[in-house]
Amino acid sequence: MKRVPYEYAEDHSGKQWWRSLDELAGSPEVQARLAAELPPGASEPPDGVSRRDFFTTMGASFALAGVVGCRRPVEHIVPFARAPEEMVLGRPLFYATAVPFMGTAAGLLVETHEGRPTKIEGNPRHPDSHGKSSAWTQAMILDLYDPDRSTAPIEQGEARSWDDASAALAALGKQLKATQGQGLAVLTEAHRSPTTAAALAELKRQLPQARIVRYEPFSRENARLGTRIAFGKVVDTVVDLAKAQVIVTLDADPMATEGSTVKHARGWAEGRKLDTGREMARLYSVESRMSVTGANADHRLRMRSADVAYFVVAVARELQVAHGVDCGASLDKVMGETPLGDRALAYVKAIGADLARNRGRGLLLAGERQPPVVHALVHAMNLALGNIGNDKPVTHVRPFDEASEGPAGIKELADAIIKDQVTTLVVLGANPAFNAPGDALFTEAVQRPGLTLIHVGTHVDETGLLATWHVNRAHALESWGDVRAEDGTLSIQQPLIAPLFDGRTDAEVIHLLLGQKKSAYDLVREVWRQNASAGDFDRLWRRWLHDGVAESSQAVPEGVSLNAQSLTGALGAIRKLDGLEVTFQPDPHAFDGRLANIGWLQEWPDPMTKLAWGSAVLVSQKTARALGVGDGASLKVQLKDAAAGWMTATLPVLIAPGQADDSLAVTVGQGRRVGRVAKGVGVDVVGLRLSSGFGFAAAVASSVGGHDKLARTQEHWSVEGRPIVREATFAEYKENPTFVHKAEVLTAAQMVGKHKPLSLYPEWKHEGHRWGMTIDLGSCTGCGGCMVACQSENSVPIVGRTELMRSREMHWLRVDRYFEGSDSDEATSISQPMMCQQCENAPCEQVCPVAATTHSPEGLNDMAYNRCVGTRYCANNCPWKVRRFNFFHYNKAQPELRKLAFNPDVTVRSRGVMEKCTWCVQRINAAKIEGHRNGTDIIADGTIKTACEEACPTSAIVFGDLADPKSRVSRLQNDDRAYKTLEELNTRPRLSYLARIRNPNPELA
Amino acid sequence: MSAAKTPDPSGEIRNDLMEDPRERAPLVLGGQNFHTVSNKVAGIVEEKTSLKWILGLGLAMSIMLILVGSIGKLVHTGIGVWGNNHPVGWAWDITGFVFWIGIGHAGTLISAILFLLRQKWRTSINRAAEAMTIFAVMCAGLYPAFHVGRVWFAYWLFPFPGQMGLWPNFKSPLVWDVFAVSTYATVSILFWFVGLVPDLALMRDRAKTKLRHTVYGIFALGWRGSHRHWLNYERAYLILAGLSTPLVLSVHSIVSFDFAVSLLPGWHTTIFPPYFVAGAIFSGFAMVMTLLIIARKLVGLEHLITMRHLENMNKIMLATGTMVGYAYGMEFFIAWYSGNEYERFAFINRAIGPYAWAYWTMVSCNVIFPQLFWFKKVRTSIPAMFVLSIIVNIGMWFERFVIIVTSLHRDFIPSSWSYFRPRLVDISMFAGTFGLFFTMFLLFCRYLPMLAVFEVKGVMPAADPHHEPAAGLGSVGSGKGGHGHGAH
Repeated sequence: MKRVPYEYAEDHSGKQWWRSLDELAGSPEVQARLAAELPPGASEPPDGVSRRDFFTTMGASFALAGVVGCRRPVEHIVPFARAPEEMVLGRPLFYATAVPFMGTAAGLLVETHEGRPTKIEGNPRHPDSHGKSSAWTQAMILDLYDPDRSTAPIEQGEARSWDDASAALAALGKQLKATQGQGLAVLTEAHRSPTTAAALAELKRQLPQARIVRYEPFSRENARLGTRIAFGKVVDTVVDLAKAQVIVTLDADPMATEGSTVKHARGWAEGRKLDTGREMARLYSVESRMSVTGANADHRLRMRSADVAYFVVAVARELQVAHGVDCGASLDKVMGETPLGDRALAYVKAIGADLARNRGRGLLLAGERQPPVVHALVHAMNLALGNIGNDKPVTHVRPFDEASEGPAGIKELADAIIKDQVTTLVVLGANPAFNAPGDALFTEAVQRPGLTLIHVGTHVDETGLLATWHVNRAHALESWGDVRAEDGTLSIQQPLIAPLFDGRTDAEVIHLLLGQKKSAYDLVREVWRQNASAGDFDRLWRRWLHDGVAESSQAVPEGVSLNAQSLTGALGAIRKLDGLEVTFQPDPHAFDGRLANIGWLQEWPDPMTKLAWGSAVLVSQKTARALGVGDGASLKVQLKDAAAGWMTATLPVLIAPGQADDSLAVTVGQGRRVGRVAKGVGVDVVGLRLSSGFGFAAAVASSVGGHDKLARTQEHWSVEGRPIVREATFAEYKENPTFVHKAEVLTAAQMVGKHKPLSLYPEWKHEGHRWGMTIDLGSCTGCGGCMVACQSENSVPIVGRTELMRSREMHWLRVDRYFEGSDSDEATSISQPMMCQQCENAPCEQVCPVAATTHSPEGLNDMAYNRCVGTRYCANNCPWKVRRFNFFHYNKAQPELRKLAFNPDVTVRSRGVMEKCTWCVQRINAAKIEGHRNGTDIIADGTIKTACEEACPTSAIVFGDLADPKSRVSRLQNDDRAYKTLEELNTRPRLSYLARIRNPNPELA
Repeated sequence: MSAAKTPDPSGEIRNDLMEDPRERAPLVLGGQNFHTVSNKVAGIVEEKTSLKWILGLGLAMSIMLILVGSIGKLVHTGIGVWGNNHPVGWAWDITGFVFWIGIGHAGTLISAILFLLRQKWRTSINRAAEAMTIFAVMCAGLYPAFHVGRVWFAYWLFPFPGQMGLWPNFKSPLVWDVFAVSTYATVSILFWFVGLVPDLALMRDRAKTKLRHTVYGIFALGWRGSHRHWLNYERAYLILAGLSTPLVLSVHSIVSFDFAVSLLPGWHTTIFPPYFVAGAIFSGFAMVMTLLIIARKLVGLEHLITMRHLENMNKIMLATGTMVGYAYGMEFFIAWYSGNEYERFAFINRAIGPYAWAYWTMVSCNVIFPQLFWFKKVRTSIPAMFVLSIIVNIGMWFERFVIIVTSLHRDFIPSSWSYFRPRLVDISMFAGTFGLFFTMFLLFCRYLPMLAVFEVKGVMPAADPHHEPAAGLGSVGSGKGGHGHGAH
């Protein structure tokens, strides 16, 4: 992988050594070449045994052969002589907690086995999760067990004890107290933790001169700034897509990468339901890069991010002029310069009419990367349309606090360091050396002699490497804390396990700096004891811990009124952008870089491009032709900063259907310089991201030759006209509710009765339960959360980049994504989760020579791993190609720490055996045992949830018992939209898909 | 047989092609008599080890070592050292298996079916062809054994009464394969050995050292050439030929079931059994041809393996190659005629998809080039037939590759489509099987009579009861009225 070189550390010896004239001249080409020589990272597979390994092992084996029996293993066995209450060995316990993420709190329910957290689910009581989770939150369990986590405080590369670290921090604090904190700066993440806030307030009280800066690479800063422009005060915006009949996303991806994604996706799916009696909601998406949201839109208009502002203005004006909905600003001047074409203007008309028709039931949503003025105008339009208020799609609430999270603060901080105004910098969890804006030159700043950098982090990351003191932070899943969701709902963070490496929380470290040794538990309780009446605090506390949320802790809704003057004034900031633009979004595999070391995510394909293990620059077909590049070609993207000069990144091109012309999309977060998994994967583009163009910016691009093969899990984009995915418009569906069967080779009547396809073998007799599943393609967003949930639940290994490029990924559940349309730039897309169909007449079972895969009485295709010899015949004969073969011993090289994340209810597969989706048979059996213990043997519908079903934010996946005619799955399988894939093969899948229904606007037909 | 052309007393090989279509060319040339035939064939075994043979064996064994190394790597590391991937679960492994098992078929056909059909020209080539069968089955057997993910449990494919009471799944064509191939190997070895007994006795009787005498003696099973021995032998040989004949058809039919019984488009085809059998015979004859052209030259068997033999084999290759061509065409016709979308796609994809290069290699090698055998000039030109036999070998390997890989790489669900690329161990292992094959073949040439001496004698004019030896032609031995089965 090519990576952007990181800046050289300044050589303080005064000598400038150089290796070539090019290097002396500092040409970017030579720097790129130097970087390319860096050793590749952990993306290499556990591909067999190298010669050296072989000799090492053999040598050791020979040496040890003679000494067998000389030593007895020393074991410490600590029995649960006094077992904690509720602990039954072998049975999992679930604890509620929450982690701050994406400007909100992800409410989690974590499965633990004997005190070992193994699986993350959403907390059903949490307003942001409702029991659901995203790929990112699912994967955090591996972040906890990351073998690269720092295990002790480190002073300048030397490991120290916590006593040393505490003493050093206290000494530093004492020094700072002498100057009232002059020269101290504290940099935090968007923590949303009242306890951390209280600790920082205490620090500010004792050290009033200290500055506290907050920085989050992907934050809701612009929406917040927009409220200041539109309403004259800062409020947080909470949207509920379920309440909206018309949703217009403007360069926004609320369903996958922005804000409370799980909640948004669920809300959207709510509005798509056909059986609620409510009219189907409609989603318009105007965006530059095809996002998950855009892929699910009824109408999608591709447009450069830079032009979206004009589109928003046009919609506002359309509302003003045609529908008398006045957002209060004067728009004519901006309208006069509009670059929008006819197609966009047609969209403006249709959207305007639709919004005006649905006043109070509409929702405009601007993307995080759009500038504040766009947000302001969108807020104003929502207000004018009556979309804001109680029981309306938009509510405004009092913000957590008014601190800025954007790039300006950190740039100012870096400048202050360079001006020697800061002598001590405490970084709480953030990784500015990696993700600070390119023009902040943060890495250079923190290396100033005389600056004491204290890094509090779970990993020795790019910032940790530069720190005077790195102190190991407790992971969110192993610490006491608290966090507020976007609507203010409070969750208490409770540790699922004692800190693995004795890490401390941010609040603890702040207090250590202040010379106080307080436990995180006490700190959190202290904060909340004050907020509760003394008598019942303990009861309340236990309730909070149990539920994972504090009752009625939501923030106060704020009334808003328009400030037309400031809005009109701000409109002057809208500028046209000529030439190419580059847009920034969080990387699907790494978020902002913090999740980059998680193998599951690196191997988890991007929902739209299906790219794994790397990053790319997305361009449209037309732009690629103009630039003269093809898939995988290296493209140099450059943009100019007034102070720092040209910033460059060279990335492989990925021609993405639906990408706006003249728009280059890059993802931030790859190209990490540390971490056994993350290092060397993808390209670091943070340098391109300037504080002046934090969301998107004008750029130039040129082909530089060279080629990089893209590691993609799906290589074929067309469904080849096969009726595997089926969809219709709402109108077509109403006209012909059984449209799905049109595409079938054998009619439903032929599948039964005397025309029933013949089978050579006797029919199975299914007794008792008959497990079945449906997947609603109308609700499935293709977000891919189910994939990581499956991987986590079933201990599915990752295989690495090289193996993935050989098509050997192990995902039991994959999300297929097809494009439709003759013009690839204007393609629409549909996603289809694909897993074992649990055929009743399974082709895999018949061909297995050793009967390792057999039919269960309940209709599952069971897989006996220890009987499997690995002929792969079953996989060849599987029409869905959902069986996965262990080409190597993928689980062999797992570090000890990583093994803690394995699900003890699932066998870890060895090399040479076939594995496949079991519909989480371990969960089925656990429920059956429970039912049996109760003496009823009845399993209520919905008791068993497969991991994918449990994670799915939109509840598109439903599992249940087909033997029970009243179960949800039985009803859904009899739905008009239900169809089975490849039914004509007579394998009789137990999995039905429900066809997708789109709801296009007839005015845009 | 009608009276043969007068043998040339000089002993030189003359043009052995008959211009007169009413007459058949003699099967033994060069004025051979029973004694010279014995001398010739046994001489190969008895003479001093030639440098050529040592070099050849050294080379073959070196290549065989590559096989050993490749298998070691495979077993040590995992199937991943091959290029197989997720849609393509089988690739060079099963291609190699079907390729080798197909090659074996010519041997069985020559020894069994041509025996039953009283095709006397088989006598000069059946021994080597049968040996080739056994060695090819050995090579073939490696693949199903080592292609499994956990080779140490490969024995689970055999039905054995275990403690757990677990049996193989008799519905699986792979289990049928186990029976088919092991039966085939057993019968082939038995058949070959029984056919060897009289010649082993010949070797025993001619042996000059004690060791040779003992070893050949043990395996000759006390053969004395008595009338009763001959009677029993003839009966046993006939029974074994009868047993082997259905095997020629059944083994490759069952191998084809591995594919035909599945539901994969491109595999799920009823034409497969006859198509595979024809292909097997086609490829087997090509391999016999390649081997015999070399062997005949190296050890000077031109008198015994004559142009007539070679031409007959070419005719069979022409016939079976054309059958295979018919099958290719018919597959396309059925794909279109069935109206099955997936089936149609599978075949269009073969012809113009990512593996079109392999498909067209196959068609040219198997159908187009063998058409040159229509020309007598080509049919009787040693260099031409040698090149063509190698082309057919290549083509038949590609046939299996095309069937297996192109069907797998793009099947029902387009999202799972991918591409297969071989890796080093794929190639080294396949190359290594040739090392094994040639090692065995060279050992066979050196230690066993390459030709069935007594059978060749049986088709010589002298063995004909109506044969009238021309004066002074040196035809000695049993002479007129003698049995056609003189041992020596």
